[in-house]
Amino acid sequence: MVEVTDVVCSLCGCVCDDIVVEVEDNKVTKVKRGACSVGKSKLMGHNRIKSPAIRVNGELKDCSYDEAIKKAAEILAASRRPLLYGWSSTVCEADKVGVELAEELGAVIDNTASVCHGPSVLAIQDVGLPSCTLGEVKNRADVIIYWGANPAEAHANHMKRYSYVSKGFWTEEGKKAKKLVVVDVRATKTSKMADVFLQIEQGKDYLVFSALRAILYGHADVVPDEVGGVSKKDLLETAEMMKGAKFGATFFGMGVTHTGARQNNIVNAIQMTRAAHTHTKFTITPMRGHYNVAGINQVCTWETGFPFAVDLTRGYAWYNPGELSATDLLIRQECDAALIIASDPGAHFPGESIKHLAKIPVIQIDPFPNPTTEFADVVFPAAVSGVEAEGNVYRMDNIPIRLRKLIDSEYPEDEAILKRILDEVRAIKEKEGN
Amino acid sequence: MQTIKLKLKSEVTSGVAKIPVEVDSLTPDKLFGKTEAEIKAVTVWWGNKEENTGDLFDVSVDGTAGSADEVKIVLDGDLSRVKRIGDGMTAGEIEANGDVDMHCGAMMNGGKITVKGNADCWAGREMHGGDLVIDGDAAANLCAMYRGETTGMTGGKVTVGGNADECVGQYMGGGEIVIKGNARMLAGLNMHGGKIVIEGDAVMPGADMTSGEITVKGTVRDMMPSFKLEGTESIDGAEYKKYSGDLAMTAKKAKGTLYVK
Repeated sequence: MVEVTDVVCSLCGCVCDDIVVEVEDNKVTKVKRGACSVGKSKLMGHNRIKSPAIRVNGELKDCSYDEAIKKAAEILAASRRPLLYGWSSTVCEADKVGVELAEELGAVIDNTASVCHGPSVLAIQDVGLPSCTLGEVKNRADVIIYWGANPAEAHANHMKRYSYVSKGFWTEEGKKAKKLVVVDVRATKTSKMADVFLQIEQGKDYLVFSALRAILYGHADVVPDEVGGVSKKDLLETAEMMKGAKFGATFFGMGVTHTGARQNNIVNAIQMTRAAHTHTKFTITPMRGHYNVAGINQVCTWETGFPFAVDLTRGYAWYNPGELSATDLLIRQECDAALIIASDPGAHFPGESIKHLAKIPVIQIDPFPNPTTEFADVVFPAAVSGVEAEGNVYRMDNIPIRLRKLIDSEYPEDEAILKRILDEVRAIKEKEGN
Repeated sequence: MQTIKLKLKSEVTSGVAKIPVEVDSLTPDKLFGKTEAEIKAVTVWWGNKEENTGDLFDVSVDGTAGSADEVKIVLDGDLSRVKRIGDGMTAGEIEANGDVDMHCGAMMNGGKITVKGNADCWAGREMHGGDLVIDGDAAANLCAMYRGETTGMTGGKVTVGGNADECVGQYMGGGEIVIKGNARMLAGLNMHGGKIVIEGDAVMPGADMTSGEITVKGTVRDMMPSFKLEGTESIDGAEYKKYSGDLAMTAKKAKGTLYVK
């Protein structure tokens, strides 16, 4: 038995890097410290895709990697509008090959941000992001706002490691010396811990942000007695709490990116942070979901200039979420082939999108079987990044962290599979004279 | 006067995948002076491949033109997967007989486009001049900006016979938009010039506006809580409340005007 310390968790955007596990006979046998229950489950391992396979007469038939590579490359090379989607639960090295493949094919490349914090990414382009590292929040923040986020259940280590419950250099008393504001449409496990809980009406976030901005800029006189289900008295109290902060930190989640004004909610949240700057230090950070969704946004931006929903069909990068995001393309039935890697649209996309995916050839690369496997035509099992493979990822505050390899795997890494598909596509194109 | 008829062949949109054709190369400016054979050889993008116009459209040319101003393009067939109609045009006329796909009239500088149906998202995006008439409904981001830009429409006139979806005229800097029906959430968002008239209802109009004028003749739902009531004014015989805003942008920048019944 070997004890491995400083293990990095490849589950959510917290990317906890202080985990201790035990390894015996090339297996993770125990997670001793640091991981939450979902992180623990990922590290311990579960059901896997056993073999590469190709669908024949409706059934997946096991085949060799060589046969699956050939089939996948043929599908992609023949496609007039291929979609390459996923990329958030794998490492940056694989993402880089993904962008290269998209360029070679003239494909649309999109990642799970488009059904997650895509609205946040759009908003950041419009008005910037006065943010900071999670370490700064831990060591300095005395007023924490969670807006449309429920970390107690969705990012289980977030409050403990970085925000309300943590103790840092200038926050040694922990939560006793901090204030917690929670804004949500319903009471949650997180809101039960809050000093102030603003329960707003569904879809009215935008109005509440604007009201807080007007108050912070000194125009409380024009704000009506109630805004989006919140009394003016509560808004004034929240604004006073923000003004009184030594260091304020807002975190926001899906509850505000996917309601009403969507990306414009986030523009407004960032503008509220800017308004707070006329009084004190305030920061704002999205609660990113998958462990490397921030990383594919980084890689896609280095390579194409844009973070997601990038169309390379005309030989240059054209970016337009709403037009080129995977769900929109599929609802409009635009794609004639798709490669899905490290994600599960079968479980997470709207029904109309999945219906179209079921009609076109789909290639899947993933360690684990999921609903997408049910309609995939070519399936590649891959090594689990962070357990069986190493590589770079970006935490939710855009800090790069290197995943560690704990055990050996019989399966190839995502990057290796993608490189072989890319080589095969190039060989087909060369043969055809393109 | 010259009329160029382009009818999309039905096989283009009859497959399992409805792959859009991008026709920014088919404007009066770009087709002026070309023979029928030359027009058929102009390439358009269909997915990741360039195809000849004559392979995707039935093409016919009638009459002659002395300039692009005298060229009229008539588009027929299923146009719901035809993107970028009239993109960047400066002269002449385009008539689209049916629902059109995204970016119709984007970057338009002059001339006229008439859509005899609905227009999908980003119609009139960053338009600088000319006339865009949409008989039916307009989808989201009508006359708005490309992602990340801070200026949308700057000139010209757009008329929508039906309703408009979210973010009409986002970051608009000039020109005029008239919506005969209702406008959904955030019409005139970030507006810093120009004029929007909504004859029906609107939701949260004028958020973050710093200049320009919005008039809502119907009902406003979810009025922004950061506008200041300045008094009342009579427009065309009807009484309107006049607001200034948006104070969420600070008093110094809040130079927009919003008229609400």
